[in-house]
Amino acid sequence: MKYKDYYAILGVERTVTQEEIKRAYRKLARKYHPDVSGHSDAEERFKELGEAYEVLKDPEKRAAYDRLGTQWHSGEDFQPPPNWDEGFEFSGAGDEAGAHADLKDFFEAMFGSTRAAQTRQGPSRATGQDHHAKVLIDIEDTYRGAQRTISLQLPVIDDQGHVSLQLRTLNVSIPKGMRAGQHLRLAGQGGAGVGAGPAGDLYLEIAFRAHPRFRVDGGDVLLDLPVAPWEAALGAHVTVPTPDGLVEMTVPMGSAGGRRLRLKGKGIPGNPPGDLYVILNIVLPPADSEPAKAAYNAMRQAFNFDPRARLYG
Amino acid sequence: MKEFEPTWLAGQIVDEGVEFTLVELSRTSGASAEEITLWVAEGVFDPKGAGPQEWRFSGASLRRARTAFRLARDFQINAPGIALALDLLDEIDALKTGSRRSPGN
Repeated sequence: MKYKDYYAILGVERTVTQEEIKRAYRKLARKYHPDVSGHSDAEERFKELGEAYEVLKDPEKRAAYDRLGTQWHSGEDFQPPPNWDEGFEFSGAGDEAGAHADLKDFFEAMFGSTRAAQTRQGPSRATGQDHHAKVLIDIEDTYRGAQRTISLQLPVIDDQGHVSLQLRTLNVSIPKGMRAGQHLRLAGQGGAGVGAGPAGDLYLEIAFRAHPRFRVDGGDVLLDLPVAPWEAALGAHVTVPTPDGLVEMTVPMGSAGGRRLRLKGKGIPGNPPGDLYVILNIVLPPADSEPAKAAYNAMRQAFNFDPRARLYG
Repeated sequence: MKEFEPTWLAGQIVDEGVEFTLVELSRTSGASAEEITLWVAEGVFDPKGAGPQEWRFSGASLRRARTAFRLARDFQINAPGIALALDLLDEIDALKTGSRRSPGN
């Protein structure tokens, strides 16, 4: 297995106090929490932080971790020395840890048994837990519907209360009209029931992959459409891409930059469907030739135009 | 649990047409009924119905409840803090989309 440098993950020296570890963790957790972070690798970073903190916040586990020595670097091949957890009360992952150490990740092999969930002393018959997962789809997928094969790592709790991750593959139809943030409920695909209890449900939270042209606002789709100054001023017929293909539309005469033109019902399908908003973005041609410069000069002479007229008033 | 399902599973979209009771929302989101009740008091959700027994939450509440649940769990945020955080997240979302309608359009 690969060694993990928990101090480096939290960005602290090995000599810091427990209080400083907590502070470093809290600060980074706010930065990388998947619900608030804009970082693309937030989910992974947040998980790593949680793992590092779980070990280092506990003085005993921290001491055991420190005992592994300082010569290791993250990602380096690593075998725990025999009885490395001797003398500590938490006791590591147990006898099988060594045998399967290569297959497990660092935390699980070293501290595995401590991560186990408490065995629930629930009723003998109960509905299984609902499970959640996030699924990324393209905006185009929600216009047509899509079929996706999804790999999920689902936590499974055995009779002793140990948690392990089980890989599960599901073929799912993503229906037309799904919006970002909506959940798809797959009845009975969640955790197994207790006793004769029914299985829980699996909820897939849908999010759209970032699109180079389209933005999404609820059921509406937004597109920035570049137009030439004369198209905005004089009006034009233009061809506009939508997630569902090209459409023809008219730019009205006398349009200002930033004007929003609505293509009713061309947003995300539904009842009612969303709208597609085309936002005009006036693009200036470069004055990179003599005729182009002459044209700009002609404009200057033709207009009595002061763009800063209201700036000083 | 089967390793492979040969057919395409069809799901149900949890949209405005779906309603959750307090017990159902708690079960599905992972948040306790007590937490959700405190969030309702802060205006995080606006369920239909007079009291907790009759409350019906719209399908769109699920996402908010999930986010609230994770934030409360991971940062130990109390109910007013959750309400503030969700409002700010909504605002950030709106700013990112540039969805503020300019007047007159």
